Amino acid sequence: MENNTTSNEYVRGTLKTIVLNLLAEHDRMYGYEITQEVKDRTGGAIALTFGALYPVLHKLEQEGLLLTESVEVDGRLRKYYSLTHRGNETARTKTNDLERFIEAVKLLLAPKNLATE
Amino acid sequence: MKRLQENRIDQISKYLQASKLDPELIPEILDHLACEAEESLWDGKPFEQIYHDMVKTADVQTLLNLSVDHQNLLAMEKSLNDIVFENRNKSYGAYDLRKSYGQNVQRAVIIGVAFFLLLVMFPQLYAKLIPDPKPDDIAYIVEVKPVDIKVEETPVPPAKEEVAPAPKTVKSMTPEVLPDNKVEIEELPPVLEDLENAQPSTETVDGLENIETIAPPVVNAPVAKETAVGVEKREEKEFLHVEQSPQYTGGNEAMAAFLRKNLKYPRPASQAGVQGKVFVQFTVGSDGKIENATAVKGIGFGCDEEAVRVVKMMKDWMPGKQAGVPVRVRFTLPIAFQLD
Repeated sequence: MENNTTSNEYVRGTLKTIVLNLLAEHDRMYGYEITQEVKDRTGGAIALTFGALYPVLHKLEQEGLLLTESVEVDGRLRKYYSLTHRGNETARTKTNDLERFIEAVKLLLAPKNLATE
Repeated sequence: MKRLQENRIDQISKYLQASKLDPELIPEILDHLACEAEESLWDGKPFEQIYHDMVKTADVQTLLNLSVDHQNLLAMEKSLNDIVFENRNKSYGAYDLRKSYGQNVQRAVIIGVAFFLLLVMFPQLYAKLIPDPKPDDIAYIVEVKPVDIKVEETPVPPAKEEVAPAPKTVKSMTPEVLPDNKVEIEELPPVLEDLENAQPSTETVDGLENIETIAPPVVNAPVAKETAVGVEKREEKEFLHVEQSPQYTGGNEAMAAFLRKNLKYPRPASQAGVQGKVFVQFTVGSDGKIENATAVKGIGFGCDEEAVRVVKMMKDWMPGKQAGVPVRVRFTLPIAFQLD
C-alpha cells in the first residue's frame, strides 16, 4: 500500500503523458484496458487506479485531445478513447518532454563519481 | 474468459448508485469494475472475495472524488445559464434568450456605437467630403498648352484694299528758281502787247488784226444775273404810342408858325362864319416823311382840305423812336380854324 502511494505520487505528474502515449500506440482503448496495459508492461510496478485514470481521461477529452465512442459489449456500455489529430501532436511533444526529463533525473540520481567517470 | 452473471453486475451497479456516483460516470466505472472482477474470476477467486476487495478499493470516498472531479470539469464548460436551467426546459424560451443574450448585446453595442459616431461625425464628414468653396478657390482649371504660332508659308490673299478716294488734285508745281538759260519757255500768259492786236481766245489764231467786232461777251463767261434775293420789304409796323413821339423839326412853336404862315381861311368858311378844329391824321415814317394824311374829323366848308394840304406841305419830321429805333407812328394833329 505504501509502495503504491509513492508510485502514485510520481504517476500523478506523468499520467497524462502515459495515457497519451499508450493511445498513440493503439487505435482505441477503454479505461480498464489502459490500466491492464500499464500493469502488464511495467510488471505491476505502476498500478493505475480507476480513481486516478478516469479524471485524466475526462480532462483530456474536454481539452479536445481525445474522442470517445460508446460501444455495447456483453450488455455493458464500454467507452473507447482515441486520439484526435491535435491529441497526436500533443502525445509526441509530451513524450519527448518526459523522456528528456527522465534522462535528466537519471543523471541526477546516478552516483556522482560514476557520472564523472 | 469467465463472464460475470447479470445479478452480479446489478449488485455492483447498485453499490455505485448507492455511493452517489455521478450518473454519467456509472456505465464507465461499472464496466471497469466488471472487467476487474472478471479478471479476478479468471484467477479463480470467488465472487464474494472479489466483491469485498472491490468495495475496499472503490470505497465511497474514491467514488465521491471521482464525482467531484467530474463536476468540476463540467463546471468549467457550463455557464451560469446551464446551472440555472439545469433541470428545466432548454429547447426554447428564456434559456434561448439568455444564451444568445451576450451575442445580442455585443452586436447591439457595436451597431449603436457605430450609429452614434456616424451621427456625431456627420457634419465633419460632410464638410470633409464636400468642402466649402474658399474665396481663392479656382472653379475651373483649364490647361493651356503653349501654342506655336508659325508663319504660314502661303500668304493669306491680301484683303481688298479700300481705295481711298483720291482728292481732286491740280497740278501745282512749286515754282523753282532757276537761271534764265535753263528756264523752259512754255506757254506764258499773253502779255499786253499781244493783246493790243488780238482778241483773247482759247487759241492763238493768226487772223485779221483790226476787225472791229463788238463781240458779245463770251457765252461761257459767267454773266452776273440780277436775281431777286429774298430780301422782302418789311412791313413796318405802325405804332400809336411810342416811347419817343415824333416831333416837328424845330419843335411845336416852329410848327405853329409854319401853320399860321401857310394856312389860308377858306372863303366859304369865312363867309359862313364856320370855325372849329380839324383833326388831321397822318403817319410819320421811320424816315420822318408824312404819309397818308387825312382829315378824320373836320368842320367842312373847305377847311378839311386846306388842313390836309398844309400838313402834306410840311417838311420831314423827327421820327418817333421805340427802343432807340425809328419807327412809323400814327399821329393826329388838331388844327384850329378861328375867325378873328
